[in-house]
Amino acid sequence: MRKLLLAVLWIAFLGGGTALGQTPSPPAGQAELVTALLERIDRLERRVNDLENKLACAPEPCATNAKLVTASAVDPPAPAAKNATMQEHQDHPMPAVEQSTYPSMQIRGFGDVDFFATDQKGTTSGFDLGQFVLHIASPLSKKVTYFGEVSFTAQNVAQSTVYALQVERTLIRYDYDDFFKISFGKYHTPVNYWNTEFHHGLWLQTTIARPEMVKFGGTFIPVHFVGLLGEGEIPSGGVGLNYQVGMGNGRGENIATAGDAGDINNNRAWVVNLFSRPQHIYGLQMGGSFYGDEITTPTAPRMKELISAVHFVWTRETPEFLSEFANVHHRVLDTGQVFNSLAYYIQVAYRLPWLEKKWKPYYRFEYIHAPKGEPVLHGTNLVESTAGVRYDITEFAAFKTEYRSTKRATNEPRFNGVFLQTCFTF
Amino acid sequence: MSASPIRRAAGFLAAVCLALVALQSLDAQGQHDSSVAVVVHPDVPVTNLTLQEVRSVFLGDRQYWNSKLPVVLLIRAPVAHERDVVLRVIYEMSEVQFKRYWIAKIFRAESATPPKIVYSNDITNELTAAIPGAIAFLDSQDVRPGIKVVRVDGHLPGEPGYPLK
Repeated sequence: MRKLLLAVLWIAFLGGGTALGQTPSPPAGQAELVTALLERIDRLERRVNDLENKLACAPEPCATNAKLVTASAVDPPAPAAKNATMQEHQDHPMPAVEQSTYPSMQIRGFGDVDFFATDQKGTTSGFDLGQFVLHIASPLSKKVTYFGEVSFTAQNVAQSTVYALQVERTLIRYDYDDFFKISFGKYHTPVNYWNTEFHHGLWLQTTIARPEMVKFGGTFIPVHFVGLLGEGEIPSGGVGLNYQVGMGNGRGENIATAGDAGDINNNRAWVVNLFSRPQHIYGLQMGGSFYGDEITTPTAPRMKELISAVHFVWTRETPEFLSEFANVHHRVLDTGQVFNSLAYYIQVAYRLPWLEKKWKPYYRFEYIHAPKGEPVLHGTNLVESTAGVRYDITEFAAFKTEYRSTKRATNEPRFNGVFLQTCFTF
Repeated sequence: MSASPIRRAAGFLAAVCLALVALQSLDAQGQHDSSVAVVVHPDVPVTNLTLQEVRSVFLGDRQYWNSKLPVVLLIRAPVAHERDVVLRVIYEMSEVQFKRYWIAKIFRAESATPPKIVYSNDITNELTAAIPGAIAFLDSQDVRPGIKVVRVDGHLPGEPGYPLK
């Protein structure tokens, strides 16, 4: 009896062990299972193909499958051969060819949580929620697509926190072909590489913050543009030339904002951007742009504005190299007085080959100088060094740690800060 | 005197191990040696592309074969041999970089949709034959009639100088 009881307990233990063994396997095991299943599908498909070929070729000798298709690739098949091909396909249930249903909206989100501590007088350290960004892409037909981007930013207003909702981009684009696409709406002005490369997706950029010359809410370069934009490739062989030409409202009364609700004068802003992505030097992009506008603000005289900018970037991560230079030329219409303000940054990063390639140290140097007496850009001087490291926690989230040393004006002391960020896409 | 048979046995075992390793390596080579063909829907008006042009198409920079025929990208799901070759030779990216690339591409409003994911070579064959403008990669052994194989840098799969291996 005792032996029987022990046997039952032993069987129960083994059964329990088996049941435990049936618990879901860890992700690594699942990946192996998926791999094995996919390989099995391939093997089965090959086997079916072989069998079909044997059946099809039974009455007469035939070439190998690869040779048949190779021949059809070079010379168009004769009608009889085409019919045979069609017949062959009719024998198989065709997969449900994707019926394009329009609109087909996709939404992607970006978010970040930040911490900062600096020794700058008058500032406090602490956390902030950064921006909550939603991006929408929705094809409306084969050739018409809508893109949108909205942001929610926490702001302290009158002893309470509010979330400012901003439409950052909203545009509808019609594609004729690769050489001509036209769109209408609100854009990030294509006068600057960073502005149109990373938008509000902090997870996409290596560093925690944008360069000062294109920071959101900044005045050096108009970040937004409301109007129309034509863009496309320029037939140039392997040079990979592209253009963007736009016309719009330009800067608003507050020159940090675009004229979303209408222009403040009868002068349209314009932008021309030319850049090259050489096919033979994969990862390189270089280009230049011009932006013209008339600035009308209540606090400054009427001015003509001409911004010229160039960029040279290497987008591969081993190394990553980004550099931009911009000159903002203002001419006061009443007096003819001229002001040239310049800004540039150089950023270098390198994705380390060790530790699953998750670490990416970086360094950026920035410089901005606006001359004394500049009517709208006064006080935007900056010399800043940023050194940090990005660690990709997962495929879609990253940690960044940064040290910045900043000097804003010659008579002001340099201040230092430590910045942390976790950013992600979802 | 007594060490000699042991040495012989050890030598024999070492030879067997080496032979096994060599066979396994040959087998592995045999499994992955097949070229990957660039295939398109029969109506796509190309028969030859340079490797840079294939890259331009798969990077989503070239989006139209002509004004009436948009490019439709098909790509195998992760862990397929074809995908490995495409990521290594065409994109020169890891899986993570590839995913990030397409998120950024759509975010920049340069493309409305990422490549469509296909789960087997049979489905690749059938979708490429059925979708106007489709372009995909297939193990050259698995290419079936009804789709067009495109020369890359003037070479067909299996020819010397063909880059997609």
